[in-house]
Formats: sequence, C-alpha cells, structure tokens
Amino acid sequence: MRCCTHPLLRRLLGLSPQCTSGQLSQSKGPVLGPKWLSLRQSCSARPGLVTATDVANYWHKVFETNGIPEARESSEYIVSFVLGAKTFQSLNSRSLHTPLTAVQQEQIQQLSNKRLERMPVQYVLGEWDFQDLTLKMRPPVFIPRPETEDLVSLVVEEESRKCEKNSGLCFPVPVPHPVILEIGCGSGAIALSLLSKLPQSRVIAMDKEKAAVDLTRENAHRLQLQDRIHILHRDVSYSSAKQLLLWGPVDFIVSNPPYVFHEDMASLDAEILCYEDLDALDGGDDGMRVIKTILTLAPSLLKDSGSVFLEVDPRHPNMVENWLQAHPNLLLVLRAIHKDFCGKPRFLHIQNQSG
Amino acid sequence: MACCLQIAKPGGIRRAPACADGGGKIRNKMKPLQSVCLFKSLLANCYCHGQLHRCLLPPVAKKIGYVVGLHNCGFWRPKSLLDTARFTLSFNGRHRKKHQDSRALWKHEAVQKYLETLSKEYQQVSHLLNADSINDFEQRTLRRRCASLSPIAAAFQEIKEAEREIQELEAMCRELDSRDEKQLLEFALEEKETLDKKINMSCRKLFQLLLPKGKYDRSHVILEVTAGRTTGGDICQQFTKEMFEMYQNYADYKHWTFDIVNYVPAEIGGLHHAAAHISGDEVYRHLKYEGGTHRVQRIPETGMSSRMQRIHTGTMSVIVLPQPEEVDVKVDPKDLRIDTFRSKGAGGQHVNKTDSAVRLVHLPTGLAVECQQERSQQINKEIALRTLRAKLYQQIIEKQLSQEQNARKLQLGTRAQSERIRTYNFTQDRVTDHRISYDARNIKEILSGKEALDKLINRLLEFAEIEAVTEYLENLQALEGGGC
Repeated sequence: MRCCTHPLLRRLLGLSPQCTSGQLSQSKGPVLGPKWLSLRQSCSARPGLVTATDVANYWHKVFETNGIPEARESSEYIVSFVLGAKTFQSLNSRSLHTPLTAVQQEQIQQLSNKRLERMPVQYVLGEWDFQDLTLKMRPPVFIPRPETEDLVSLVVEEESRKCEKNSGLCFPVPVPHPVILEIGCGSGAIALSLLSKLPQSRVIAMDKEKAAVDLTRENAHRLQLQDRIHILHRDVSYSSAKQLLLWGPVDFIVSNPPYVFHEDMASLDAEILCYEDLDALDGGDDGMRVIKTILTLAPSLLKDSGSVFLEVDPRHPNMVENWLQAHPNLLLVLRAIHKDFCGKPRFLHIQNQSG
Repeated sequence: MACCLQIAKPGGIRRAPACADGGGKIRNKMKPLQSVCLFKSLLANCYCHGQLHRCLLPPVAKKIGYVVGLHNCGFWRPKSLLDTARFTLSFNGRHRKKHQDSRALWKHEAVQKYLETLSKEYQQVSHLLNADSINDFEQRTLRRRCASLSPIAAAFQEIKEAEREIQELEAMCRELDSRDEKQLLEFALEEKETLDKKINMSCRKLFQLLLPKGKYDRSHVILEVTAGRTTGGDICQQFTKEMFEMYQNYADYKHWTFDIVNYVPAEIGGLHHAAAHISGDEVYRHLKYEGGTHRVQRIPETGMSSRMQRIHTGTMSVIVLPQPEEVDVKVDPKDLRIDTFRSKGAGGQHVNKTDSAVRLVHLPTGLAVECQQERSQQINKEIALRTLRAKLYQQIIEKQLSQEQNARKLQLGTRAQSERIRTYNFTQDRVTDHRISYDARNIKEILSGKEALDKLINRLLEFAEIEAVTEYLENLQALEGGGC
C-alpha cells in the first residue's frame, strides 16, 4: 500500500500536514475543538453512554476539521458497518439510541483512523456493494464506480433482446449459453454481477494484476459463482487471441478499461492517488491505450455479430468513432453511445460486422 | 353515548329534559359545525318524508331526539328515533355497550326490511336454480347471485334464531319465580349472555357482508409520520418517534411485516420524518383511519428551562396510503430528473465517492423521491423509482378515495385532510379519538401498540362500517323511493 508521505505528492495534493499517517496514529491525534475533545474523552471513559448517533456526529466533526471529503457519509458508513448495517439510514431508532459497547467504539475508532489517512471508505470497511452484490474490497484493487452498474445492465439488456428476437422466430433455435470475456476485472464486480444476472452465462475474467485476480477469485467463491468463471492472470497487451479463446469465440467483450487521460491523473483525489492501482485508471495520453488494444483484438475474439461494451471518458465516443473509421479492416461498427445517469456519454456498444 | 340511550328509555314527555341533557353532552364532544350540518339534514329528511306529524314529542325534544338517535345508531330517519327508544332491552353489562351501535342498526326497521328482502331473494334464487327450465347464461348469473346472498341469508337466519332463543329464555325467566330455581335462573342468564355475544358478533359480520368491499382494504400500506412544528422544545419529534414505534409494535402484534423506507431522526433526539412499508393481512383496512393529525399534550422531558416546564401542545401527522401490489404506472424516463452527488464533475473513474443517495424528480408533477437506504446507487435509484411510481398511482387512488369518501364523517388519512383526529394527553394519561368520542386511559398501553390500540382501531372500524351500511341503505332507499 502506498502512503501519502512523499512530500512532493503531498504538496501536489495540497494536503494539510495533519493528514500524514505518522502523526495521526501515535501522537496527539487529529485536530479537535475542546468540545469534541471532551466528548472523545467521555467516549473512552464512560463507554456505556455513547450512542451511534453521538459517535457518528463526533467523527463527522473530526473528519470535517481535518478536511476529509464526505465527512458525514464516511462517519455514518463506518458506524453503521460496525453495527452490522449497510447505511445509516437503514438503522432503526433502537440501534441508533442503544449505547455502543467498548468493542464497537474501539472498532469505530480504528476504522476512522484509517479514514483520517484518506483511505477510501470502501477499503476502510473492506467491502462495498455493486448492484445487489456485496464484494470484498482491498487496496490497491480498483474500486468499482456507480456508473459501471449501468454498463452491466446494458449487457444484460442486449442479451435479453437477443433471446427475445430468437423466440419470435417461427422455428426458434435453442440459443447457446452466452460466453463473456471481461478485460481488467479488478475486484470482479462486472463479471460476478453478469454471472448472477445471467444464470446461463459463463465468464472469462482477466487482469494483469495478481492482487486483482486473487480478489476476483475470492469474491467469486464468497458468492458461490466460481463454477461459471474462469480467471486469467494475464495482460491484454501481451495476449494473443488463441490464449484467450478457452471456450471458443465469445458473445460479449465487456471492459471498464483505464480511460483517464494521463494529464488528468495529477488532479485526482488523494483517495485514488494514494490507494488505488493507478494502472487501472491511467489510459495514456489520449486515455485510449487499452481501448485500442481491446478493439484491435476484438474481431478475432468475437462471434459473428458479437458485441463489445466499454465504459469510457465522455470525450471518447467521438475519438473511438474516428479511430474505427480509420481502421475499417477491423470490421467493427459503433452501434450505440449510451449516457450514464448524469447524462454524460459514457458507454459504447460496438459490434462485429464480419461473417 | 350509550348512556344517552338509556336516558331515552322512558317514553313521552318525561324524556325531554333528560334528552336535552344528553344532547348537550354530545354536542360538546362534537365539532359544532358538524352537528349543525347534520341537524339540518335531519330536519330536511323529516319534512321530506312527511313523517313529522307522526311524532308525538314536543318540538324541542324532537329535535334533540333526532340528534340522539343519529349518534346512537348513525341513522337519521325519524323512525330511527322510535326504534332506538324501543331498543332498551336489558342491557347493563359494560362490555356490551360497545356493540350497541351494530345492534341498534340491526334493530332498525329499514334494515330488517332490507334483510328480509335479501333473504327472500335468496330463497327465490335457490328455488330457480333447482328448476331445470333455465338456460346456461341465466344459471351462471343466478349462481353468482346465490353465492353472494347465501352468507347474508345464513347470518340473518342465525341472528333471528338467536333472538328467538333469547325471547324464549326471557319468557322462561319471567316464569321462574326466584326461590328454588335460583340456579336455573343463573344458568339462563349465562345462556342469554352467550347468545347476546353471538348476536353482536353476527351483526358485525352481517354488516361487513352487506358492505361493498373497500377497494384497497387488503392492500399493503405506506405509512408516513411527520413531526409538526412547535415552540415547545422537542415534544413533536419525541412524540413522532413514539408514534412510529407504536405502529411498528402494532405491526408486530398483527404479525405484519414492517420495513422502514426512510428514517430522519431529529438532531435533538426524536424523529422528524419516517416512512415504512407495511405488508400483511388486511393492513390498509386496519390502518386507514390512523391518517390525520395527532395531537400531544405533555410537559417536555428534556432541554427546557424551568420557565418552559409547563404543558405544551404539539402535533404530528400520519399519512396512510394503500399500496396495490401491481402498480401499473408508466414513467417516461424523459420526465425524470435524477439528482446524485455525481451530477457535477467528471464522474466515472475520475471520482471515488461513496454518497449513493439518489433523488428523483418527476417533472410533470413535481413529485420528488429520495432514497439512500443502500450502498449501491443503482439499487437506490430502483427503489426511488418504485416509490415514485407508487406515489403517482396513489395520486390517482387519492382522487378516487376522496370522491368516494366525501360524504363520510370518518375521514381517511389522505393528504387532503389536516383534521385533528386524536389527542394524547400525557398529563391526564388519556387518549381521545375526536371522531368517535372514544376515551382511553393509560397512554402507555396504547403506545405499546397491542390490545389497547387494537381495541381503539376496531372501534373505529365498526363505526365506519355502520356509517357505510347506513349510507348504502340510504342510497338504496333513494333509488327505490324515487323523489319525494
């Protein structure tokens, strides 16, 4: 795990000196007003009298004072996690007002200290939700973003459209169960979500990072989806089609490749820069390095009229369209550009025209 | 109310002062405006039916008498007065009083006549069904009619039977001359009590059968509580929290499922706003009369200077909306605005934020729904969309309900009404339901959401049933009798 201790990086991020890890855990602790200090003392002195609401308010204040982003959300997620709930809003009044045990307070304290070091909440808790799945999260494996949930839905919609079209025929032929290839699986969010939404499907998930491959495997086992997934530790840039075609040509390639323009990298939040695998984000000068690799390989991986679904930067749709026109030999066509929930062009549906 | 009934027992002139007394009491409990309106409608009814001259009472007593009659049985024909006056039997057990409303309605001549007609129709229909001479189509219609009439006819006969038995028992009791047969007398009285109970039960059952089924009675429910505003510190929020827990406990008591949809605690303690989805057996039927403004009177518990240590009045409101299982409202994605924290900035891989709250705004209606129950933003969006569809559907339902309910006194808890329905007076340890003048001691018991609350709710239901049957029969009579 990387830490924000490098002075240059710290200056780059404009972090206050209190945020450095060394000072926090040992010496005088985070900056607090006298009022909060006294609450903190009472937290440890009279453990029976502090409720979830008190503690959440306390850490909210501490995070705010220390310039931690999403101070309230962070504190509430941590407290509800220790109480066995997913969100603060889903706690009922009874658990909000029952005094916390000393153990619970200790846990909250430990997790909150991690957050004070700008560790992303998902890593602090060691888990996060993607659609209806709860997945393990571990640094430095890339944390799935909410936009990506819609990428999965697009693949599921396309698959059900294909089935519908077939059942409308006079003589419906049995549809072979879909095979999906995910490039850069990270925690396994996309692959596992597809497996659970499409119970007939099989997925090949690959990532160049050992940590990611391990985490995907762990999550697959936790969700009991390991039987329909094949996990490859391999870099797509150095792979041939033959190495990836375990089960023959695939119906879908899906990927959330690194697509951040290299020049944007420095302006990302400390949470990302300090903890996440930057290779999972940095798409090179035009953010297209891995996108181009995938598209070049796609024709030799896809079935006839198979599809590629990509999550990209809002600037990319036009760039990809131009690039495809410049490479007509690939026989790929941009079928659709889908917007994310903020209305930004975020997802590309590209189809194989060969055959 | 029950006491007025008994005051009304002695006939003729002597009744006048006693009734005036009773009428006064009632009027104190009622909202004045309402009593005036009803009074007018009573008089109108009297003249309309040209039956006024038949009454033997002096004018004042008559007027008051109508009011008494109306409130005892919820029926405002002049005849009802005469009936209730006769309806004096030997009721003295306290537990029976609460059933007098159903019983009084049962005793009413028009009701009896109507039931006789139904009973006769049932016999005719079943006779016709046995005859071979009808075609398939007719048979199907008759079968359906027969099926709906048969439980009514059965209950009607059951009550008649029980009444006959009671009469026999009473006759027997009169002959039993104290002395040796004391034991037998006790036995007879016991028997009579059982029969009475049976009649009361059957009466209620019968009227429930007569009633057109409430459209959403079996529906699940969204129950929302919102604290009112007050200067009295936290009493509204505190009270709102207690009320929400009361419904949670009641759901538990009724073996319903209680899912909290959102919960916004107040910073000073207590509850600002919360909503729950309640599913189970006939949830809406039981909770529909809980909607409205609930008032609390108490001395604030905390955070008050001594100057403020006096009784404060606060309010909270409850909205109860039926949730039909199939919500068939299409929402065009173009009509939606989705607000998330991500709306600003780059989004995607550039940002790693955890705030997954979603707010949907339905542009044509301005309805807004929020959800932050889940960590997954997509799931929050799905929940919000579901809630939005339900809310849009409810607007349609509410319109229907308010049309159906306009005439009724016992209002349903739709958004349209802000009527104060109940007061919880902590200093006097008393709960009063203003609609039916129901008083209960021991607030704690009511707030615990068990028997005491169930009793109150059942009392409301019965009142509503009687009102509905009355209205139903009124409409029938109006149809049959034509204009006057």
